[in-house]
Amino acid sequence: MIVEEALIKELKQKESQAKAFEVLVNTYKERLYWHIRRIVLDHDDADDVLQNTFIKVYRNIDGFKGESKLYSWLYRIATNESLTFLKQKSKKAGISDEELKNRMVENLQSDVYFEGDEIQLKLQRALATLPDKQKLVFTMKYFQEMKYGDISEALETSVGALKASYHLAVKKIESYLKEN
Amino acid sequence: MNKDKENSFNTPEGYFDSFHDRLMARMEKEAQTDSVIPKSDGFAIPEGYLDGVTPKIMSKTTEEDGKVIQLKSYKKFYYGAAAVAAVFVLVFGINWKSTPTVAFDDLANAEIDAYFESNELDINTYELAELVSLDNVELNDVLEQDLDAENILQYLDETVDDIDELNLDYSDYE
Repeated sequence: MIVEEALIKELKQKESQAKAFEVLVNTYKERLYWHIRRIVLDHDDADDVLQNTFIKVYRNIDGFKGESKLYSWLYRIATNESLTFLKQKSKKAGISDEELKNRMVENLQSDVYFEGDEIQLKLQRALATLPDKQKLVFTMKYFQEMKYGDISEALETSVGALKASYHLAVKKIESYLKEN
Repeated sequence: MNKDKENSFNTPEGYFDSFHDRLMARMEKEAQTDSVIPKSDGFAIPEGYLDGVTPKIMSKTTEEDGKVIQLKSYKKFYYGAAAVAAVFVLVFGINWKSTPTVAFDDLANAEIDAYFESNELDINTYELAELVSLDNVELNDVLEQDLDAENILQYLDETVDDIDELNLDYSDYE
């Protein structure tokens, strides 16, 4: 916590900002990349959104009041950037959000950076049927192995509601995998 | 032991206090055991991507910083510029008050388009129709191509089988 506070302080001071920002990027880039990647699915899109996320963080660091933890603020920005990116993408393509999600999953079959087999493709199809919040909770808990307390801060949702969401998501995914 | 006054059933001490935690623990355990969900989701990442992304992000932020000019070493020019600016303020000061306020018409169409493009408006077409009175909108405002006589004639020519049946007075359109 002391380290985080010191980093925030350095981020807000002009003379130490660049170096502190590099530390911030190096500390969180991998975690945020995987968080974003699991929302947008495509590597190039994840790269765009990751860069946009950090640029937004850089521009708004003065506005960060420290009321929440730094990483939960970063996750919130990354989540919003990813969901906004998908909304804009569906709008540009003139298709619904659901149609875009289906296309994204089908595109994985020809994606060189997707090494999953049939069961993993089926998992993505199952995830595409979930509401955004349930999908987020599931991927953050199951694949990113985040603690409920941390997810709760990042998504601004109570731990109880998150546990219920996760349980529902698991049940839905399991039944999808068994039926299809 | 807790005793229910109506039916005299008992529950162990603190049973309801810990119920929520036990339920959640069981739900989690159930979710983890015997799951058909694969442990990996199959996503891969290009070799060396994570090493290369930091310089990319840093260069984008320094591009923004690059525009900032260090004023300290140009102190005397700064004073000179301030003096020139003061003269301009004196000369043109009177006109400042008459600066027109920015109106809706001053917004470039591109800016309005960009706003609608990038903002998710929670409004459907019916609600929009209620907000914007059609009386104030000219048909030509909403059409991509102006609805002039030539276009009408061209449309009729392309879509009506026998244009002569319409008995148009062609002299009006020549």
